[in-house]
Amino acid sequence: MDKILEIKSLSKSFDGGKKFAVNDVDFHINRGDICAVVGESGSGKTTLIRLIAGLEHPDNGTITINGKEVSSIKKVVVPEKRNIGMVFQEYALFPHLNVLDNILYGISKKKDKKKIAAEVLELVGLKDYHERYPHELSGGQQQRVALARALAPNPSLLILDEPFSNLDAMLRMQLRNEVFNIIKKMGVTAIFVTHDTQDALAVADEILIFQNGHLIQKDQASELYNKPQSIYVASLFGNTVQLNKGLKNAFRCPLKEDCCHAIRNEKISINASDCEYVTTAKILKRTFLGTHTQLMLELENGEHLTVVTPEAVLGNEISVGFNSKDVLAFDD
Amino acid sequence: MSLQNSFLKLRRDFNRWSWSTLLLLAIIAIPVITIFIKLFDGPGESWGHISKVLLVDYLTNSFWLAVFCTFFTLLFVVSTAWLVTRYEFPLRKHLEWMLIIPLAVPGYIMAYAYAGFLDYGGGVSQVVHWLGVENFKLDIMNVYGLSFVLSISLFSYVYVSTRAFFLTQAVNLLEASRMLGTSERTSFFKLILPLARPAIIAGLILVLMEVLNDYGAAQYFGVNTFTTGIFRSWFSLEEPETAIYLSALLLVLIFSLILIEKWQRRKMQFSSAKISRITTSNRLVLSNFGQFVILFWVLLPVVLGFIIPLYQLLVWASKTFEMVFDDGFFWLSFQSFGIAFITAIFTVLFALLLLYFSKWNKIYHIQNAAKLGILGYAIPGAVVAIGIMIPTLFIDKWMIEKGIATKFIINGTLIALVYAYVVRFLAVAYQPLESSALKVNTSIPDSSKVLGMGNFKTFFKIEFPLIKAGMLSAFILVFIDTLKELPLTLILKPYHINTLAVKAFEYASDEMVMHAAIPSLFIILTAVIPVIFLNKLLLQHG
Repeated sequence: MDKILEIKSLSKSFDGGKKFAVNDVDFHINRGDICAVVGESGSGKTTLIRLIAGLEHPDNGTITINGKEVSSIKKVVVPEKRNIGMVFQEYALFPHLNVLDNILYGISKKKDKKKIAAEVLELVGLKDYHERYPHELSGGQQQRVALARALAPNPSLLILDEPFSNLDAMLRMQLRNEVFNIIKKMGVTAIFVTHDTQDALAVADEILIFQNGHLIQKDQASELYNKPQSIYVASLFGNTVQLNKGLKNAFRCPLKEDCCHAIRNEKISINASDCEYVTTAKILKRTFLGTHTQLMLELENGEHLTVVTPEAVLGNEISVGFNSKDVLAFDD
Repeated sequence: MSLQNSFLKLRRDFNRWSWSTLLLLAIIAIPVITIFIKLFDGPGESWGHISKVLLVDYLTNSFWLAVFCTFFTLLFVVSTAWLVTRYEFPLRKHLEWMLIIPLAVPGYIMAYAYAGFLDYGGGVSQVVHWLGVENFKLDIMNVYGLSFVLSISLFSYVYVSTRAFFLTQAVNLLEASRMLGTSERTSFFKLILPLARPAIIAGLILVLMEVLNDYGAAQYFGVNTFTTGIFRSWFSLEEPETAIYLSALLLVLIFSLILIEKWQRRKMQFSSAKISRITTSNRLVLSNFGQFVILFWVLLPVVLGFIIPLYQLLVWASKTFEMVFDDGFFWLSFQSFGIAFITAIFTVLFALLLLYFSKWNKIYHIQNAAKLGILGYAIPGAVVAIGIMIPTLFIDKWMIEKGIATKFIINGTLIALVYAYVVRFLAVAYQPLESSALKVNTSIPDSSKVLGMGNFKTFFKIEFPLIKAGMLSAFILVFIDTLKELPLTLILKPYHINTLAVKAFEYASDEMVMHAAIPSLFIILTAVIPVIFLNKLLLQHG
């Protein structure tokens, strides 16, 4: 498949080399893919996309877009010559221009600019809004204008920086589906940055996990969930219990002690005697959380364990267990 | 990172904006560099005498000026700033901005007005005469009087910085402290005042720099200071070398002040993430008597700093109106406003170039260095003038020698004068521009670039419309400062051109201080309008 973006040993530091925001990162993206960059704040994901956009200059490594090297230690192609579309976290609509002028901004030299503007506005469902100013729009509408503006010049790569972080939960889900339906329809290759793994799981073909400036894993959603390469990656996709020595003893499971193991919270069964590893436990505390109940347990050997269960649990003594196929193993 | 990589990176990132930024910085730095280089030529003949006799005088006078100005501002201004922030009393809303108005009265005009007000036949002597005392005169033509007039013309700097802190930071803290069972008074002294210290000192340092910059008031009062020493060495003794030595010493004093300011801020960098504002509902209301006492206390600096000098100048103006206000005066005002206008345009332009070139430059250290450009404001006008006089004279002579020019085209012309103003007032323009540029989220110009526009197009289409307000306030502030400026103008102004400030100074020096009233009033009244405007701006910015 043809690579639209290729990044090789890319590094960027700030404060005169004291702090690495992006540290020796390698990956590529194929044409038409939607790729999510996931990480906590400060993990370097925003710096990564600013490097791709040409807004930052790398300390080392190369960035190649569409087969053309745009960033290296020797030269950096300016952002305006990269044909990249970008939707910023704060939308960055030009406050003194109305919706139409915002969209025309990037296509002012094109002949059929009016037609393109009408098309993209139609696409995002805002065709009656071209006279409005950004401050007259809701957050979701601003988001859609920002998307339309970025798509209008027909970019070879679309970057979205935390596109949904300023929206409330309901709107977020709705807009997420809308936005990525549009992106898919246009067939644009897209990278989007998020700290929310649900966003990434929902729409991305591929997910890149960043931690402290390092790319620690790049895989499809199901692979990341089933075969995380570290406990950090595992914990990004749901609560995970690390199986320490005490827990391993409590469940009498014959796992090597020098290896790091964990189990996802939802894979621990309550009152399930058919599990491979089972132990009895006393319920110390129940917390009702609506769709499920959280139980704080004390195991036979005094170890504590917190589990969640969708069922109502009666009595104070229960059995808990899990199966070996659900145990996640890591090297570190 | 390897050395080779660092080199490649430097070569890649060192763009034309890096060059341009360094060039702008060099233009600004020329006066200081000149003074530094000229130090190696050795001092002039009188240096021995000056360093033995007068230097002690300069230093002790500067010391007492600093002590009294500090005392005055701390006692009157900090309390006043707190009272207008925390308490409700009659006229509070008006007094809040009127406390900034004394900034419109330059130190030398304040000096003329007070000397007259306290002299035989002045306002005070008339009141005392009415009480039955004859020939009353309060002599303020000394270092204490000078401290007084400079304090009341400059205290607003401390007022502005302190009130900004009180308005934005103090309320939440005070309320938390009260909830923890601490009284209002204890909370103020144990919590608010220590936290306000960086803001107070920042304002105070500005006051002290302006005190060291003053020439007109010290000269009129006959107090020996560094600036009067520089003038005497330059004009009377005709010893540029000595003037340069004094300038260098003064620069050392000034830069120590800057270092103290930086140091105190580093140690006390408190800032609360949440900014609150006092609203009318949470201002305290005292009894009628209490309100009266507060009103009196807050009114005092306004009366001293504005009403009295204004009264004195109006009395004089009414007596000299017919003699001063003629065609010549109209022409003089025109020149003065014209120079201020040209200066304001060039300074704002220069500040814009420095701000944006350093932004477009991709080298971190040059971005940092660009901020040094605004230090020109700390350099006294007399020092800037001498630092520009010497190289421009040199260039002009060289050009005549080489046959490029037939007469001086920089020195003694508007070019040198406006250049010096730009150096001195760059910070005045830079700061409002920078703060309005900071309010534009970086993603806005970034998105313009991603959408295909270069630096210049982005600036004209996006940033320019968004920072217009900042540019306007930068323009007005520089305009006013140029109008008020005296020492620099005295040294560098072209022979046939005059300004209102210089005219007032000349009248006062020629024992015709009454005639100085009309040019002084013109300066003050022009400055008052923007001072009010500035206040609005500060309230908006918080």
